[in-house]
Amino acid sequence: MTQKAEPLFQDQFTGEPPAKRAVGYIQSQREKGKHVAGIYCGYAPLELIHAMDIVPAVLCAFANATIEEAETVLPANLCPLIKSSYGFIAKDTCPFYSFSEAVIGETTCDGKKKMFEMISHKKPMHVMDLPQLPDEKEALTNWEAMIRKLQVFLEKTFSMKAADADIEAAIKENNKKNDLVKQILEFAALPNPVIGWGEMHDVIFLSTPARGNELNPKLAELVKRLEKRVSDGYVYGAKNAPRVLVTGCPTAGDAAKVFKIIEEAGGVIVALDSCIGLKAFSEKVAENTGNPVRAIAERYLKIPCACMTPNNGRLTEMDRLIEKFKPDAVVDIVLQACHGYSVESHKVGTHVSGKNIPFLKIITDYSQGDSGQIRTRVEALLESVKK
Amino acid sequence: MISAGIDIGSRTVKLALAENGSVVMTRKVLNSHNPVETCMQILEGVQYDSLTATGYGRHLISNYLPCNVISEIKAFAAGARHFNRDCTAILDIGGQDTKAITLDDAGSVKKFEMNDKCAAGTGRFLEIMASALGLHLEDFADAAVSAERYQEVNSTCTVFAESEVISLVTRGVPRNEIALGIHRSMASRAISLLRRVQVQGDLFFAGGVAFNRCMRMLIENELGCRVFIPDDPQITGAAGCALLYCQSLPSHIPGRE
Repeated sequence: MTQKAEPLFQDQFTGEPPAKRAVGYIQSQREKGKHVAGIYCGYAPLELIHAMDIVPAVLCAFANATIEEAETVLPANLCPLIKSSYGFIAKDTCPFYSFSEAVIGETTCDGKKKMFEMISHKKPMHVMDLPQLPDEKEALTNWEAMIRKLQVFLEKTFSMKAADADIEAAIKENNKKNDLVKQILEFAALPNPVIGWGEMHDVIFLSTPARGNELNPKLAELVKRLEKRVSDGYVYGAKNAPRVLVTGCPTAGDAAKVFKIIEEAGGVIVALDSCIGLKAFSEKVAENTGNPVRAIAERYLKIPCACMTPNNGRLTEMDRLIEKFKPDAVVDIVLQACHGYSVESHKVGTHVSGKNIPFLKIITDYSQGDSGQIRTRVEALLESVKK
Repeated sequence: MISAGIDIGSRTVKLALAENGSVVMTRKVLNSHNPVETCMQILEGVQYDSLTATGYGRHLISNYLPCNVISEIKAFAAGARHFNRDCTAILDIGGQDTKAITLDDAGSVKKFEMNDKCAAGTGRFLEIMASALGLHLEDFADAAVSAERYQEVNSTCTVFAESEVISLVTRGVPRNEIALGIHRSMASRAISLLRRVQVQGDLFFAGGVAFNRCMRMLIENELGCRVFIPDDPQITGAAGCALLYCQSLPSHIPGRE
């Protein structure tokens, strides 16, 4: 049985969806007169945005409710994340989008970049041309140039300036922040995990918009609280529950039905290997290189995204996570029509099965109609875990 | 001690009672809009010491009766091993889903795959296709087997396939050739699931569709293996449930908790 523990965050947003706290934070920054830029994915260089004291707001993309509206324009057989995100903007119901004075996109997958074209007239928009072959020697130089172009766009749009020293300072405080978030998420790596996916999302959702200097004391407090859970003998979920590593597409909101099913089937999620998870916090930007923008470019190109080819970093990172989090099973969540992650799933599955860890691929969307089928698969997966 | 296993499928509810490692009684009832009522009906007058449920209604019934709940994958693995003790590969085609399972030598689940969320390639698909051709389900396989040629049916989706079949009928294509085409398309989907779980050796075919002799022949020919079908393939899951919680468990059925 799940024991009770004091909530990690004790504020007016306790018990609310994690995005609410992020909205609250961004609103408080707006009231202080700060600018807000909407961002889409993990490739948005946060250090550069923070260096200009602009608040990066991750735009809504995880609700089924806006998909119907989106499908009046977009094809039904498209990734739900793209449809949901477009629907939020079309219906004007995304608070992050309404705060945003400009939007930053990246050429990750085809569906997203075509969707960007359809919202580009609504607010100033800057799309970064992301290299698709990150191991090519030109990739780093090209990506560095794209980050510099973003800098020019932000400087013009917001009439702000960022000197190299500002960027270097932002790198340092962000590195500290990432270290703390990583430390928090790794409290699930303990033999008796003391944090679950819900609180992981609380931390992740706040840590993207918030600047290190402001957030780090708060994060340090959370670490203390988690340490207390450990010394109190608290365990998240049932003791000796099968440990599940979740990989694949970013999963939150309505797609988190899969997480709920895993927990209802008796499993405990120990690691979230996605862009709403460890990916954003696992690497640091090199400090004091004399070229902070290039250092940022280097770090972001290491993100093991399935939009890249080859994406060997995915398996290297998987090995590291398996070593650290000791999962009994791996679940690969692929959003409908996400070809990159869906094709790559075979490689990941073969790799994981080769380590004798049961593997399950789930293709799903934001509707709840397939919950029964997902439940059967997840239960069978957990039954096959030998504990 | 008598242990009961109940498999609450989308079309049929199955019950099996096991005692001393043998199945001693089985019963089947067509499911209705009220699966709980159907379960109560099938359990009427039955004496048992423990109950284990599987199938899509497994969690629902656990709200009404004290019972263990296991997935169909585990239930079929145990049931198949009971009827065929060396079996390492299982195909189950039921009313609303298709499963391919491989077992290791000890009988534990190695890999499993299920069909996508729609009814394509399931028993329900066969029912709808038979009715689109104006055939009884029982005559559908015979019609297919009697055909010398087959008419390809390309649609995977049940609804689209029905329209395709109707348009073939109106074009004057013989019914038995369409029937064979439908069986072939369904068999090829089952085979691709089986290849994904890397089936080797003989195959245990369970679920209501295993009664269909055309499906059996097509799968046997394509995979080049022997297909074993128990006397009542529909009862495999319920039997597995009953046997897993039977006190004197036969040594060849693994996975008991």
